[in-house]
Amino acid sequence: MDIITLAEVSGNLNAIGYGLAAIGPGIGLGILIGKTIESTARQPEMGGRLQTLMFLGLAFVEILALLGLVAGFLFQ
Amino acid sequence: MNDALIGLTLAAEGPELPTINDFLLPQIIFPGTPFAMDRIILVRVLATAIMLIVLGVTAARVKLIPGRWQAAVEWVLDFVRDQIVYQVMGENRGKRYVPMITTMFLTILVFNLCGIIPGFNIAATATITMPLVFAGWCFVQYWIAGIREKGLGAFLKDELFPKGVPAPIYILLTPIQILELMVIRPVSLTLRLFANMVSGHITVALCLAATQWFLIDGPNKIMAILGIGTFAAGLFMTLFEMLVACLQAFIFAMLTTAYINMSYPEAE
Amino acid sequence: MTFAAEGGISLFIPKVYDIVWSLIILAIVALFFYKFFMPKFQAVFDERAAKIEGGIAKAEQAQKDADAAKAKYEAQLSTARVEAAKIRDDARAEASHIIADARSRAESDAAQITANAQRSIESQQQQALVSLKGEVGTLATALAGKILGAKLESKDVQSSMIDSMLDELDKK
Repeated sequence: MDIITLAEVSGNLNAIGYGLAAIGPGIGLGILIGKTIESTARQPEMGGRLQTLMFLGLAFVEILALLGLVAGFLFQ
Repeated sequence: MNDALIGLTLAAEGPELPTINDFLLPQIIFPGTPFAMDRIILVRVLATAIMLIVLGVTAARVKLIPGRWQAAVEWVLDFVRDQIVYQVMGENRGKRYVPMITTMFLTILVFNLCGIIPGFNIAATATITMPLVFAGWCFVQYWIAGIREKGLGAFLKDELFPKGVPAPIYILLTPIQILELMVIRPVSLTLRLFANMVSGHITVALCLAATQWFLIDGPNKIMAILGIGTFAAGLFMTLFEMLVACLQAFIFAMLTTAYINMSYPEAE
Repeated sequence: MTFAAEGGISLFIPKVYDIVWSLIILAIVALFFYKFFMPKFQAVFDERAAKIEGGIAKAEQAQKDADAAKAKYEAQLSTARVEAAKIRDDARAEASHIIADARSRAESDAAQITANAQRSIESQQQQALVSLKGEVGTLATALAGKILGAKLESKDVQSSMIDSMLDELDKK
C-alpha cells in the first residue's frame, strides 16, 4: 500500500449518486403524503379525491427518484 | 460467461451476492428466435397459466351464494371496481374501464407476488418489458379516451395549453406538457413498477444470501449470530415485498385510471 | 462490486423476445378477463342484485298482503261490533215495547174489569132501588096504616098523608 492508494475507496460512485438523488424525492414524498393525511383529517369526505390527487403528484415526484436510478446505470 | 466465473470466485471468498445479472438471463428455450425464453419469461408464462386456471375454474364454478374462495375473489373485484375505478372516475365513465383495470390489477398483482413465491423467486414483472406493455396499454387508452370524448384538437389544446395560465408561461409549460403526455406518464409507470421489483428482489436475495453464508458457508461459526439477524431481516423483507407487490399493483391501476380520467372533459 | 460491467443500461432496453412474450401474455390475459372472467362474475353480480331486489319486492308484497288482511279483519270486526250493538239496541227496544204492551194490556184489562164491576154495581144498585121503591110504598103504607089505623079513617087525612109521603119519596 503506497502513499497514493492509502485513501482508496473501492465501490461505485453511482450508488452515492443515487443516494443523493433520492433525498429530494424523499422529502417531496414526505410533504406530499403528510399534507394529504392532514387534509383528509380535516375533511374526511374529500378523502377519495385527495387520494387520487396524491397519487398523481406522487407520479411526478417519484419520476425524479426513478430517473436517478436509471442515471446510475446510464452514465458509467 | 465471464459473470459466472466472477460469481464462482466470489462464492469462494464471500457470500454469493445478487447482482442485476439476475435480470439479464441467458435464453433457455428457443434461443436466438423471437420466441426465445429466459427464466423470467418462463416464470411469467407459468404464472399466467396458473392464474388463468385458478381464476377460470373459479369463474366456471361461480355461484350465486359464494363460498370462501369466491367471496375472496369477489372482494378483490369489488375493491378494484369501487375503490379504484368508481372512486376516481365515477360510475358512468368508469363502467367501460372496469374490465381493463381489473385485468391490470390482478395480473400485475400475481406477477409481482411471483417474486416471493418459493420456486419462482423472481417477479414476472421484473423485466422492463412487462410493465412497459401495461403502460403502453394505458397510454393507448388515454389517447383514445381523449380523442373520443373531446376530439383530437380539443384534447391536445386542453392538455398542452392548460387554462388559467398567462400566455408567456406556455413557452415553458407546453414542452413539459408534451413530454408529460408522450413520455413521462408511461415511462414513470413502467419504471416505478420495474424498479420496485428489481430492488425488492435484490434486497431479499441479499439478506438470504448473507444468511446462507453466515450460517453454512462462512469460515467463522461465531458469525452465525449475525446470520440469525440477516435471516430475520430476510423474513421481514419478504413480508415487505408482499406489501410492495400489492401496493405497486394498486398504484399502477390507480394511476392508469387517473390518467384516463384526465383525458375526459372536466365536468362530471 | 464488479456487477454491471457490461450490463447496466441493458437492463432498461427491452429485448425482442421479451416484447413478444409480454404481448402474447397480455393478449391472452386481456382476452380471458374481457370475454370470460368479468362477464361471468358480472352475471352473478347482476343476478344477485336482481334476487335481492326480488326478495325485497316479495317481502313488500307480503307486507302489503298482511296489511290488507289486517284491514279487512278490522273492518269485519267493526261491522260485527256495529251489528252487535244494533242487535242489542233492537232487543232493548223490543223488550221495552213488550213491557209497554203488557202494561197497556194489563191496564186496559184492569180498566175493563173495574168498569164491569162498576156497571154491575150500578145495575144492582138500580135494581135494589127499583125494588126498594116499590116495596117501600106498600111497606110504608101498611106500616103507617097499622100505626095510624084510627087516624086514617078520615078519607081526607089519608089521602093527604099518602100524597105528601109520595112527594117526599119522589123528592128523594
